[in-house]
Amino acid sequence: MAKIENGRQSADSISIRTISTSHMDDESSLGSDSEINGFTNDRHTDKYGFIGGAQQYSEQSAQDVPPEVLRQREVKWLDMLSNWNKWMVKRHKKVRLRCQKGIPPSLRGRAWLYLSGGKVKREQNRWKFEELDSQAGDPKELDVIEKDLHRQFPFHEMFVSRGGHGQQDLFRVLKAYTLYKPEEGYCQAQAPIAAVLLMHMPAEDAFWGLVQICEKYLPGYYSAGLEAIQLDGEIMYALTRRVSPLTYRHLEKQKIEPILYMTEWFMCVFSRTLPWASVLRVWDMFLCDGVKIIFRVGLVLLKCMLGTREKLKACQGQYETMELLRAIEPRYMQEGFLVREVLEVPVSERDIEREHHVQLKRWRKNRGELHCKSPPRMHGARAIMASEPPSRQDLRQNPTIIVKSLLPPPQPTPQLKKGEKKGKKKGSMKKTPPVTEIPNPYNLPGDPQLPLRDPLPQPTLRDSPVQTPLVNDTPLPNTPKDSPLPQQPALNDQPALNDQPALNDQPALNDQPALNDQPALNDQPALNDQPALNDQPALNDQPALNDQPVLNDQSLLKDSPLQKSTQSLSSTEADHQDTYL
Amino acid sequence: MGSDEAYNFVFKVVLIGESGVGKSNLLSRFTKNEFNHDSRTTIGVEFSTRTIQLKGLIIKAQIWDTAGLERYRAITSAYYRGAVGALLVYDITKHLTYESVERWLKELYDHADPHIVVMLVGNKTDLGSERSVPTEEAKDFAEKNGLLFLETSALESTNVETAFHNVLGEIHRKVSSKEVTRGSISAVSLASPIPRAAGDPEEKKPCCKNL
Repeated sequence: MAKIENGRQSADSISIRTISTSHMDDESSLGSDSEINGFTNDRHTDKYGFIGGAQQYSEQSAQDVPPEVLRQREVKWLDMLSNWNKWMVKRHKKVRLRCQKGIPPSLRGRAWLYLSGGKVKREQNRWKFEELDSQAGDPKELDVIEKDLHRQFPFHEMFVSRGGHGQQDLFRVLKAYTLYKPEEGYCQAQAPIAAVLLMHMPAEDAFWGLVQICEKYLPGYYSAGLEAIQLDGEIMYALTRRVSPLTYRHLEKQKIEPILYMTEWFMCVFSRTLPWASVLRVWDMFLCDGVKIIFRVGLVLLKCMLGTREKLKACQGQYETMELLRAIEPRYMQEGFLVREVLEVPVSERDIEREHHVQLKRWRKNRGELHCKSPPRMHGARAIMASEPPSRQDLRQNPTIIVKSLLPPPQPTPQLKKGEKKGKKKGSMKKTPPVTEIPNPYNLPGDPQLPLRDPLPQPTLRDSPVQTPLVNDTPLPNTPKDSPLPQQPALNDQPALNDQPALNDQPALNDQPALNDQPALNDQPALNDQPALNDQPALNDQPALNDQPVLNDQSLLKDSPLQKSTQSLSSTEADHQDTYL
Repeated sequence: MGSDEAYNFVFKVVLIGESGVGKSNLLSRFTKNEFNHDSRTTIGVEFSTRTIQLKGLIIKAQIWDTAGLERYRAITSAYYRGAVGALLVYDITKHLTYESVERWLKELYDHADPHIVVMLVGNKTDLGSERSVPTEEAKDFAEKNGLLFLETSALESTNVETAFHNVLGEIHRKVSSKEVTRGSISAVSLASPIPRAAGDPEEKKPCCKNL
């Protein structure tokens, strides 16, 4: 059939995505929208959800972090997320380092929401999204948005179906933004940004993430006149001169204006350029450190492709040069290489601001005043937080699914409540069958196996600040027993809902239910506002999480190693052992 | 990398028109013989080339494509530079896209070479039953404004070849008839108007790569 290159079919064929409503099933057994005409089973979906090799996933260049390391990182991140303010204020360097190493897939969505300040925004505007979501929207804008819905990552299983959940959510998020900022309206590059966010979090969260990116990280990028992006192009050009004079001279000679190659890079934060693994790493750093990451990635790509005399000899003309920039060699985009290079680029916030000043002056001289005065940009999570200081309340994690500890609760247990899926899945709240004794696969050696009291473990919240119900240091492959593993999604480590122990690297990220703020196990019974679980297709197949056997109990034990580790803000343990970059 | 491809001309042609009318698919249909219902939204600039034979000459067409959305017009001046031809595309099923043709023309003349060859293209003839722009009306408009005109379907591959061939042919005609002096067709392109005899003064070839 059609060969896919980077998301494009490379053979003339009627779209493989012809819609047939009989195949559109809200609760399709695959739990995703990829069951459509033309999609045969031999179309392989990679672990990020891309079909048929789109977005350049390859086994060879994959850089999989070993599960033990992932588990460790998860613990650290859970700790950070539960004490976000402290970490950001006192240990920001450590936060940054961990972002540079790559956020564990299971926590990426949540981390992004915290880093971007979207979490705070959401808490401070509890009913805003719902309000915007329920409004009609400007028909002109909606018309343009609708045209774009099927044109974002069309080979990602979340967005592959016309009218499917992914596209619906994309519509909701983009529409909400035009209502939130009517003077801004819709700009096409916002769609890929929203889509990337939606692959990791539910619509409401993605909306606030988009708001933050459009207003804090990249203000003016999507506004009428596109002045900000043009200015950044000039800044980029000037920085190229410093970082790679050879490249600069060539671009100058060939009259290649920045806008001819950096537009898509910057406006989409490389989501349409790089292999997906690299996109995620870049976003991890970008959301932590701001636009300088984008500049650095751009400079790395320029330097790699045009930085030596040989390379330049091979492209004599404007066209050839541009072609080269559009066909970056895979080895330069590979995750490990790219991150290392990015960290080496000698460009700081100050450099960018200084150059911004210079270019702005030049602009004013040549073109007059800017039409669109954007607020100054925030160079990362810390700056955002400083400008919008959150309350403790704002940072609190509010789980909607809480698993009960088997230890006698000091307080009355709140009702188990599943997040409300906003009507997309009709009544798919599964009744949980009575659970028989299931051995806890996450036992530490020597821990007693606690039997279940109820068939339905009810949630309880303890005072202990311990976060995770699972994750101990035992390498999981060793753990036992009769492995009812399939039924146990670790609350924060969502498995592919097949028979995988799923404790390894995260499969398609959109399988993750939006248990973003899971599992708090903090002191709060806040069960309400999680919009979560909305349209995560994979939720269908998720065993109701109260099927879960007692993953929690042991972490609630006072002397669990987890307890100890989470209480410390110091990076004890194995940070130094985690050398995976 | 690669040997010199012999060609006589390089012509840069731009695709303009409202978002969603089919510019990207016209590009892919012409240069790669591909069509995709779900091609990605164009952000920034896309381009592709194809070499054709015309009147015994080898012409390399460099086709540029960009986002149609209004606000992207702010960044298009770089895009028009050196263009000698343009396909102004609208969607025959969406009258609004036809109504903006005049604005696009103005944009074109504001930024591009005054002698640029323009063809008005009504795309999506495969959706004939949903037509909202009568052929005659558009044809009249084109004539009145000195534009070439064709209706195409990138999906069915109808008239796409013809459209590009006509534009390229007309460009060549203009160039060789010295209706325009070479200098006024800026930047890109003219390798040499006639096959070079030995001893001709060296001309700077802008692109010597076999793409």
